[in-house]
Amino acid sequence: MMLTLIRRELLDNLMTFRFAVAVFIMLFLVVANTAVLIKDYERRLAGHKTEVQKSRKYMLEGKTYSVGELNIDRPPNPLSIFNVGLDKRLGNEIWVYYGHVPTLWDAEKHSSQNPFMNILSSIDIVFIFEGVLSLLALIFAYDTLAGEYERGTLRLVLTHPVSRGHILVAKYISAMVCLLVPLLMNLILAMFLLTTSASFSLSMHDFLRIGGIIFASIAYLSVFYLIGMLISAMTRRTSTALMLSMFVWGFLVLVYPNMIVAVIQPSNPPEERRASVHNHIKQIWEEFERERKQFLATDRHLEGDPYGNMRWRGGYNFEHFQDKASVLQHYYYAGAEIDGFHEEPESQALHVQNYHRFLVPLIIDTAERTWRIRKPVLEELFILPATIDRAWLRLSPTGIYDVATQALAGTDLQGMQDFFTAVQQHRQSVIDYYYDKNAFGSRQWFSFDKEAVDWNTLPQFSFQRSGISLNVQRALPDLFLLLTLNIVLFIGVFLIFVRREV
Amino acid sequence: MWHITKREIYDNLNSLRFALTTVLLLALMLTNAIVHLREHPNRVEKYNKAVTAYQSRLASYANESLYLLAQQGPGDLHKKPSPLHFCAEGGDSFLSGTVNAGDPFGYSEDMTGVWKLSYPSVTPNLENVRPDAIKLDWGFIIGYVLSLVALLFTFDIISGERERGTLRLILANAIPRHTVLIGKFLGALISVSIPFMLSVLMNLLVISTASNLHLNAEAWGRLGIIFFIAILYMSLFLVLGLLVSTRVRQSAVSLVVLLLVWVTLVVFMPNTLASMTGEFSPSMLSGEFWKRYRQLHQELDEKYEDRVWTDESDTQTLTARSEYFAKHAALDERLNEDRLSLQIDQFRHARSIIRVSPVTIVQHLLESFAGTGFERHLQFVENTQRYAHQFRGFIVDTDRADPESLHLIGVREGMSEKPVSPKSVPKFEDTLNLNEDFNTTAMELLLLVLFVMVLMSGAYLAFVRVEV
Repeated sequence: MMLTLIRRELLDNLMTFRFAVAVFIMLFLVVANTAVLIKDYERRLAGHKTEVQKSRKYMLEGKTYSVGELNIDRPPNPLSIFNVGLDKRLGNEIWVYYGHVPTLWDAEKHSSQNPFMNILSSIDIVFIFEGVLSLLALIFAYDTLAGEYERGTLRLVLTHPVSRGHILVAKYISAMVCLLVPLLMNLILAMFLLTTSASFSLSMHDFLRIGGIIFASIAYLSVFYLIGMLISAMTRRTSTALMLSMFVWGFLVLVYPNMIVAVIQPSNPPEERRASVHNHIKQIWEEFERERKQFLATDRHLEGDPYGNMRWRGGYNFEHFQDKASVLQHYYYAGAEIDGFHEEPESQALHVQNYHRFLVPLIIDTAERTWRIRKPVLEELFILPATIDRAWLRLSPTGIYDVATQALAGTDLQGMQDFFTAVQQHRQSVIDYYYDKNAFGSRQWFSFDKEAVDWNTLPQFSFQRSGISLNVQRALPDLFLLLTLNIVLFIGVFLIFVRREV
Repeated sequence: MWHITKREIYDNLNSLRFALTTVLLLALMLTNAIVHLREHPNRVEKYNKAVTAYQSRLASYANESLYLLAQQGPGDLHKKPSPLHFCAEGGDSFLSGTVNAGDPFGYSEDMTGVWKLSYPSVTPNLENVRPDAIKLDWGFIIGYVLSLVALLFTFDIISGERERGTLRLILANAIPRHTVLIGKFLGALISVSIPFMLSVLMNLLVISTASNLHLNAEAWGRLGIIFFIAILYMSLFLVLGLLVSTRVRQSAVSLVVLLLVWVTLVVFMPNTLASMTGEFSPSMLSGEFWKRYRQLHQELDEKYEDRVWTDESDTQTLTARSEYFAKHAALDERLNEDRLSLQIDQFRHARSIIRVSPVTIVQHLLESFAGTGFERHLQFVENTQRYAHQFRGFIVDTDRADPESLHLIGVREGMSEKPVSPKSVPKFEDTLNLNEDFNTTAMELLLLVLFVMVLMSGAYLAFVRVEV
C-alpha cells in the first residue's frame, strides 16, 4: 500500500510543470555560477602564487637577519566555491616578525587587487541552494495536503485502510526524491566541472567534506519541505497556503538573516575598552624603551645610539614604533643593513653585537607580554560579537545551514584562525632558529660586510587545512540542530494532520 | 476603469497577503529607523571629531609659519556622512572615508619636500569577522522585499480570474481590454503602495523625531525622488506579474515562474555578473605600479642630484630645491591618481555590466540620491582635488604678498616664514551636489523607465490577444 502511495505521489510530482522549471532553473544557475566561481578561484590562486614568489624574492634580498622580510600569503581554500565564508574577505598577506605575534587582524590584502571590487558581493553554491532549494521545497509542499482537501481526494484515499501516518510518510518520501533529483544532478555537474579544472587538487578529505555539505543540503531541503507541509496541513485552501509559504520563505531566507546582523550590537562600549588596553600595551613598550635606553647609557661605547660611532661605508638602519589602535597593534620595529665600515672597528662591532644580544630577547619577551594582554581583548572585541551573531542566525534554518557548511568547508572563523595559528607557530620556529644560529649576537644581525645571511636554511612555512574530523566536529552541533528541526517539524505535521477533520 | 481598480483594491485590502505585507514592511522599516538612530550619531560624532582635529592641526601650522603650512599641507580630509545613510548604505564600509593631503617625503631637516594627495588603497573593513549580511537599508527593502511583494500581488491578477471564470464576465461588458488591464494595474499599484507608504511614513516619523538628526529641505526632496523611484521599480515587477499572469493558465504555475524569474533577476544576476566582471580589464598590478614609481623617481632624482644635494644655500640651490620638491610631490600625486583612475575605470566597467539587473539599477539610483556609495566617493575625491588646488593657490598668493620672501615654495630660506591668520587659510568642506548626481543617474533612470515600458507593452499585447 505504502508503495502504491509513493508511486502515485512520485508520478504526480514528476509530471508537473514546476518540476521541469525547477530542474531547468537549478541547472542554469548552478552550472553558470560554478563556471564563474572556478574562474574566480583560479584567479585568486594565481594571485597567491605570484605573491608567494614575490615574498620569496624579497626574503632572499634581505642581507641581514634584522631586515628579513618574511611574508606569508594565505592560499585560497578550494572549497570556498561551495561556501566562501570569510575566505575572500579577510586579509591574506601576513608578515612574520619576531617582535610581534601575528593575528588575523594584522593581515592585509595583498595589493594586486582593486579595493573597489570588494563592494561587489560574491556568491557561492551554498548561497544558491539557500535561496532556490528552499523556494522549490515550499513550492512542492504548499498544496500537498491543502490541495487534497480542496479537491476532496484526501477523503477518497482515507476510505482505504491506510493510516494517516503512512500517507504522510509516502508524501514526504516521494517529494524528497523529486527534489533530490535536481539537487544531486547539479552537484554532480558541479563536481564534474571542478574535476576538469586543472587548478583544483581535491584530496580524499575534500571529497568527504563535500559529502558533508551534500548531507547538510539534503537536511536543509527537508526542513523547508516540512515547513511547507506544516503550513499546508494547517490551512484549508491552497492559495492561503501558498501565500503563507511565500511570506515564511521571505522572512526566513531573505529578511531574518540580514535583519538580525543589523540589529545585534555588542553591549559593552568597545571604544573605551579598546583605548585603555591600547594604552596599556603602549606603556609596556615604553617600559621596554626605558630599559633599552638604560642599556645604551651604561655602555659608553654606544653613547645612546648603537650605530652612531661606526663609520659606515653604506647601508641604512631604522627604528620606530608601529601603531594601529583599532586592532591594538603596537610594537617596536628596528633593523639595519650595513654593507661595510671605513675603519675596522672590531671592538665597536662587538659592543653592537652585545647590544643586540640583550635587545632582541627583550623585544621577544615584551611581544609575548603584550600578546597575553592583547589576545583576550581581541577575542572580546571581535570574536565574541561574531559568535553572538552566529548564535542568533541559528534561529533561521538558513543560518544553521550556512554555519554548518562553512564549518565543513573550513572557511568559517575557526578555519581562518587555524591558518593564523600556524603562522604564529611558524614565527616561534623562526625565533628558535635564530636562537640556534645565535643570530642576535652575530654580526650578520646588522651588517653583511663579512657574509650575507643564507635564508635557505630557514624553516619553511607550511599549512595544512584541518583534518576532516575536526571540520565535522565543528559542524556537528549545527547538523544536529538541522536534524532535530526535521524531527520536530515532522512530528508537528503528523500531529496536526492526524487530528484534522477531513 | 475606476470600478475595476476599486474592486481590485477592496479585494486586496481584505486579503491575507495585504496584512502580511503590512506587517513585514513595517517591521523592516522600523528596524531600519532604529538602527539608523543608533548608528548615525556615532558616525556624525566621529566626523566632527576628525574635522576638529584637522582644523586645529591646520591652525597650529598656520600660527607657526607659512613655510610649515606649505610643507605639511592640510592633512587628512574627511568625507562627510550623508544624513540619508539609511536609504542606501552603498558599500560605504569598503570605501575609505579619508584622503590624505600631507605626508611630505623627508630625508633631513633641510631636505623635506612638500605635501601631496594620496588615496588609501586598503579597504577599511578587514577587521570585521561578523557574518556577511546585506545591509538593511531602503535599498534592500525596496530592491528585494518590495519586488517580491509586488509579484505576490499580481501573480493571479488575470489567471486567477480566468480560473474562477470571472474574466469572461468582465470582458462581456463594454469595456476595452486595455482599460481592464490598466485598471487592474492601478489597483495592484495602489494596494502595494498603501503598506509601503505606511511603512515609509513610519520610518521617517521615527527618524525625524530624534533631536540630534536633522533632515533639511534638500534631504526631503531627495527622499521624495527616492520614493518615486521605488514606485517606478515596484511597477516594473507589477507589470512583470501582469505579463506572466496573462500568459499562464494556472495561477500556481504563474507564481512558480515568477518566483524563479525573480530569484534569477534579483538574487543571482547581480552576484554572478559581479563575480564575472573581475576577469575583465585587470587594473595595474601593484608590482608594475611600484616599478614605474621607482623608475620615474630615479629619473627625477638623477636630474636634480647635483644641484639639490649641496651644503650651499645660494639662490640657485634653493631654486633647484623648490623645483625638485614641487616635481617630486607632483609625480607622486600623478602616479597615485593614475592608479586610482585605473581602479575606478575597472569598477565602473563592472558596474555597467551588472546594471542589466533592475535591482542594481535601483540600488545605484538610491545610492546617488542618498549621497552614499561609489559615485559619492568619486565626488568626494574630486572635492579634495579641487581643494588641493585652492590650497596651493593660497600658499602662492600669501607668499607673494610678503616682500621679504624669495617666492621659492617649499624651501625654508626661500619662503615667507611669517605666521598666517588661521582664519584666512581655506578650509576643506565636503559637499553634496544634486545636479551632478542627476547627470550620472539620468541614464539609469531612463533604463528603468524603458524596462517598465517594454514589459507594459508586452503585457498589453499578451492581454489583447489572449483567448478567454
